[in-house]
Amino acid sequence: VRLRASIAAAAVIGAGIAAYLTYVHYAHIAPICVTGGCETVQKSKYAELVGVPVALLGLFAYVAIIATTAVRGIEAAFAAVLLAFVGVAFSGYLLWAQLAPIGAICQWCLGNDLVISVVAVLCVARLLTEPKPSE
Amino acid sequence: VPVDRKRLYLLGGALLGAGIVAAILIVVGTGGGSSGTTTSAGTATTTATPTASLAGIPQTGDTLGRAAAPVTIQVFEDPQCPYCKEWNVDTLPSVVANYVRPGKIKLVYRGINIVGPNSEYGLRAIYAAGLQSRLWQMVDQLYARQGAENSGWITDAVIQSAATAAGANPNSLMGAFPTAPVTKMWRNAENAATANAVRGTPTFVVQRAPALPTQLQLSALDPASFAAALDPLLQ
Repeated sequence: VRLRASIAAAAVIGAGIAAYLTYVHYAHIAPICVTGGCETVQKSKYAELVGVPVALLGLFAYVAIIATTAVRGIEAAFAAVLLAFVGVAFSGYLLWAQLAPIGAICQWCLGNDLVISVVAVLCVARLLTEPKPSE
Repeated sequence: VPVDRKRLYLLGGALLGAGIVAAILIVVGTGGGSSGTTTSAGTATTTATPTASLAGIPQTGDTLGRAAAPVTIQVFEDPQCPYCKEWNVDTLPSVVANYVRPGKIKLVYRGINIVGPNSEYGLRAIYAAGLQSRLWQMVDQLYARQGAENSGWITDAVIQSAATAAGANPNSLMGAFPTAPVTKMWRNAENAATANAVRGTPTFVVQRAPALPTQLQLSALDPASFAAALDPLLQ
């Protein structure tokens, strides 16, 4: 229960970041930024996937991860790990995009990278320790 | 606590599955998107470039259009702002063609520093171009050379290149940076930003005297969205 609560708490933080970036994307406003490159990153082609903001995809993923914490069992733990791993892999790709082709860093993206990494570690721990239905 | 083998297989499966899904997403993302940072540059309703669209339009200082135009739109921008560039490339030519050229509105450039110190150098260059009645061309030419925010892309070389392309004299333009008229236009913009509670760029403030100025509420920066927000205010 403690692990599931921790995953949900971390995912709520991630969902908050994703929701904020989704909002600024559709509102066409500059995000609050101390790293100076947020708007450049947000305006780059890497900010969308087939016309859908990656922040919105991230929001959906976090909501789905939160939903899995409401369900007991290995299946739910597996689904959470799968989502978290996809998130980590895609976040890694976006981090590369910031460092190389875009040449600008977005603090919100770095925050998301940290959160999704924590979520992934917690999800792995949950998958490995989730009680069996009979326990 | 011993971990049963099935869970390790599940973990490995999740790793493999996630790798495949992420790879598909990345391939779709890099292959399906449009190139560059001006993804919507092709959606303009006129094919003219901003600089070309300005031909024959009266221009004085920071103002574009006929002085007697009944409606004034103050355009708050930052030369480093990517969204400002998007509006300039996608929508300005349509605004000029449909509203400015027929004398319905005039545009007043209100360049302010939102992004960072390098913007101030660009703003000096833009306002200095205003002394040669080339301000709006200079804005467009700087956007055409826009680099990453706060990367220091607004250099002397960029300004000289942009000024030449804008039809201004680059040497007298750069010599005018510290002059009072340039500073005055910049201060006017900052004061107008404060008076109109401008907190980001681009922002558009519309005024038909004697009514008070009002910020244009846009759902998007494309020509159709801009016209949809502006037309009711012109009735």
